Amino acid sequence: MSHTVLICDDAVFMRTMVGDILQQAGFEVVGEAETGVQAVERYKQLKPDLVTMDIVMPDMGGIDAVREICKFDPKAKILMCSAMGQQALVVEALQAGAKDFVVKPFQPSRVLEAVQRTLG
Amino acid sequence: MNTSKYADLFLTEGREYLSAINHSLLALERAARGEAEPSDDAVDAIFRAVHTIKGMSATMGYAAVAELSHEMESLLQRVRGGELAIAAPVTDVLFKAADALEHGIEESVAGRAAAVDTREVLSELRGFAPVLAVEAERAPSPAAKAAWSVAAPAGEGKLVRVRLAHDTPLRGVRAFIVVQALRRIGDVASVEPPLDALHADQFGRDFALRLVTTATDGDIERTVRGSGDVAAVRVGEDKTGLAQPATATGNGLTREETKAELVDPARGGGGGGGAGDPRGRSVRIELSRLDSLMDLIGELMITRGRLQELSRRDGDAELAETVTQASRLIGDLRDEIITSRMVPVWQVFDRFPRLVRDASHSLGKQIDFTVEGKDIELDRSMLDEVGEPIVHLLRNAIDHGIESPAERIAAGKPAAGRLLLSAARDRNAVVIRVSDDGKGIDRERVLAKAKHAGLIDPSRVELSDAELVRIIAKPGFSTAEQVTGLSGRGVGVDAVTTRVRLLGGNVDLRSVRGRGTTVTLRLPLTLAIVRAILARVANEQYAIPTTHVRETIELQPHAVSMLRGREVLLHREDVLPLIRLRSVVGLPAANLPELEQAVIVELADKRAALVVDDLIGQQDIVVKQVDQVRNGLRCFSGATILSNGAPALILDVGSLS
Repeated sequence: MSHTVLICDDAVFMRTMVGDILQQAGFEVVGEAETGVQAVERYKQLKPDLVTMDIVMPDMGGIDAVREICKFDPKAKILMCSAMGQQALVVEALQAGAKDFVVKPFQPSRVLEAVQRTLG
Repeated sequence: MNTSKYADLFLTEGREYLSAINHSLLALERAARGEAEPSDDAVDAIFRAVHTIKGMSATMGYAAVAELSHEMESLLQRVRGGELAIAAPVTDVLFKAADALEHGIEESVAGRAAAVDTREVLSELRGFAPVLAVEAERAPSPAAKAAWSVAAPAGEGKLVRVRLAHDTPLRGVRAFIVVQALRRIGDVASVEPPLDALHADQFGRDFALRLVTTATDGDIERTVRGSGDVAAVRVGEDKTGLAQPATATGNGLTREETKAELVDPARGGGGGGGAGDPRGRSVRIELSRLDSLMDLIGELMITRGRLQELSRRDGDAELAETVTQASRLIGDLRDEIITSRMVPVWQVFDRFPRLVRDASHSLGKQIDFTVEGKDIELDRSMLDEVGEPIVHLLRNAIDHGIESPAERIAAGKPAAGRLLLSAARDRNAVVIRVSDDGKGIDRERVLAKAKHAGLIDPSRVELSDAELVRIIAKPGFSTAEQVTGLSGRGVGVDAVTTRVRLLGGNVDLRSVRGRGTTVTLRLPLTLAIVRAILARVANEQYAIPTTHVRETIELQPHAVSMLRGREVLLHREDVLPLIRLRSVVGLPAANLPELEQAVIVELADKRAALVVDDLIGQQDIVVKQVDQVRNGLRCFSGATILSNGAPALILDVGSLS
């Protein structure tokens, strides 16, 4: 059975792109979220195998969303999507419980490697 | 022996060695002036390089070069033996000899060996060193050189050395992940460089730590490798003599030896061994071969796009799967080819200290020159192309920027001017900066001259940085009072912007009167294949290289407002100028979509929002140069063929400011 994924990003473009990359690799995208609050809600509802999480989102950022999700499910597998120059924030997200990160703009091979490590 | 086919190789290597010689000579000169600790390493490095050139040139039958290197070796031998002190007369003659050596190598390879006249410099060299036989074949001493660029931290626990892959994004964060992973199998006792420095990206690619653990070496290695982006791991103590940090000296000549150490079977007990180390062995390959590989993969990328498109249309599941697989392999192949073309910038940057020294001497200026980010990697052809623009910028800074010691002291500055050349990786781009703390550009003079030349509205009283660049980049524009041998012919900035634009990059300039000037070049990593965002305006598609793209957003009408008569976008606490691609390319503002999209682009040091109708997706595009049409739009850097077979123009983001 294929892995289920929840994609959290405020930009449709990024969500579509991440979705395409993961679907091509055989993942099933079960939900999308545009805000941190939505991300937490959808996670509780869908319990996906993997979450991709943008750092900067309106209405609760990605880092707080990671904290909330990990409070609910300490085994949650979350992959951070970061822009260059956000290292401090990525470290914070990893400390909050995220497993790995990818840097925009995305290269499919890098995303898939990071996904494997996150699920690993 | 037919040596002609080795001539190119000889030339390439010879230049590398010369670069190393110049580099070490500068270190010697600093030591001779008491500005740095005298170091035997520098002398050893020069000796080794000269010795190698001697051997190579003798093999090639270049007698003059061989003789010259032999004499240099003799002089160096006496310095090494402590017979001669390192002082100005010795370093000066060595500089001169290095120049003669360079000239000799170039001329010999070009088949003009007869034109090489080394008599003068030979007699100067002999003036120091009486003609006596050196132990010619004495092996060069293995001076400090090491596979790993950080010292081993002291303390208890197993020594774990890690080298990250050269293209690791956010290295500091990756190092954090490695350390976290190791904490799960043991106690991390000490880390070198310290954690704070690691997190702040203040390290090369290597770090080392001590781990108190019961895990096996194999487990440790697997844990590290499993953390991602790791190029090499070693568990276990260093072999004696290899632990010193690598010195910058002799980069060119210790590489082979360094590689040999990495595959040394005696290295610590890491289960992976040499076979798993991608840096293990190397072959030299002609650049033209890599170029044709690049061309081929470019064509293959276009074909891949067509194939994907066709298989999607066909709807055959089995075909689709095979196409997907092939696509991924082609993508990997492209990444490998691009990576194999990457070289560290020091290969070009290393000749600049010498250039700055000579230029500042001839102008009687004192300059404290620093190079940062030498290990940043760039495509070989790109690096070759960018060398000349950087020389222009350095010369501009030395000639026009930095004042004479007397002027500087009068202005309350230190007598020696600071000149900084730095390279840094920023996502898909490499950012190169040249900055000085000199007098800055005289805006009033530029303004006056621009008015005089009719380049600007005569009622203007001030110039922005962007206008300043545009004006001084006009061919033939220079405010230098006199033309010097160095610069001031008014071709500098013009040549730089033109060249960098052609490379798909952009140029930005900041100048503060009395405080200095900084020029920033933003370049894509490779020339031929770039990743681009495809955008649509009306019925036309345009490619925007991701080198220049920060992010993409939906254009919310309420975030747009007017500022000084221009449209701006309020975005995450920034106010960005709004540029409508529609009006740039001269399309009427008709049939606008309900919601437009904005691409936040980087123009060297600033940002802007580029408005388009719709975003189609990302694609690797193969850049085809197009000839500029007379009076045509200057905002395109080339054209490409998209995966559906349709052509698209590639936007030159730098031209939009």
